[in-house]
Amino acid sequence: MESTSLAEQEQILASDWGGGKSPFGTAWPKFMMWIFIVSDALTFAGFLIAYGFVRQIAPTWPVQMTIFSPVLITFMTFILISSSAVMAMAVSAARAGDPKSATKFLSLTIVGGAIFLGCQAYEWWHFISEGATLTHNPWGVPQFAASFFVITGFHGFHVFTGLTILAIVAMRAAMGKYSADSVENAGLYWHFVDVVWVFVFAFYYLL
Amino acid sequence: MTTHAHAHPTGYKQYFMIWVWLLVMTMSALGIGYVHSIPESIKALLLVGITLAKIFLIGAFFMHLKTEKLNLIMLTFSPLILSIILFFFTFGETTKDPTHVIDNQSPNFVMPTGEVKEH
Repeated sequence: MESTSLAEQEQILASDWGGGKSPFGTAWPKFMMWIFIVSDALTFAGFLIAYGFVRQIAPTWPVQMTIFSPVLITFMTFILISSSAVMAMAVSAARAGDPKSATKFLSLTIVGGAIFLGCQAYEWWHFISEGATLTHNPWGVPQFAASFFVITGFHGFHVFTGLTILAIVAMRAAMGKYSADSVENAGLYWHFVDVVWVFVFAFYYLL
Repeated sequence: MTTHAHAHPTGYKQYFMIWVWLLVMTMSALGIGYVHSIPESIKALLLVGITLAKIFLIGAFFMHLKTEKLNLIMLTFSPLILSIILFFFTFGETTKDPTHVIDNQSPNFVMPTGEVKEH
């Protein structure tokens, strides 16, 4: 049997890891971002399934839309979806070699994210001022408020992290020290934050 | 750094159209959430359908998955598949064992009025 030399093995490994080759056909930073997104999605999946479980075994569950403002939730969803669309445009602009447009779209995405975070802070403040804590709340089952704080809190933390990443990328783009790949990777993370919110919106607020 | 000829600028018009569709689906989901006459199971099914359609659009167009290799696309499905497995495993538990049911008559349960319920 013909054996592969160490140098050949290293070459094979390097060709895969260098990106643009099989099995995933993408640069390694982007692939690592995807791996991170998948692992983070598993965490959120765990939270949402746990939420579904406690809700199923709870004797009663409050009608969410009578507690949370549907207008605020819809506005927050609108903002996050819009920021995601603008982020996609930032990636396009970066790929097209237009740093000025990329910076403009990145800045708009940051504004959208900041508005979303502000709305979430207001929602938390309102919820807490009505007597909700991690262990009890005025509407019955303690798990109602606990799942709200854990799920939206973890998502809010992701939004905050995304804003930090986007701010760094936007500053670098404004200084002309950016790569289209870094804008795309930051964009993937931001879209993931949007995807998670789509699930939270449907399963926590509407169902 | 590798640049990809395939992951490139899609027109802004396409992103705008995806944005419009996402908003339409969001409003539809909101409407379904509000209609009390729809049975819970049908409502859940409709909301799951709309949610999956939304993430399909975001993934395929905003995250450019439609231009990626099948291996990478399949990788992104793993959390969804695991969620379905987890759901069916845990859902079964909610219907079999009564000890799992949250006891709102326990000594530590706090009543809506704020006082602690005593047995």
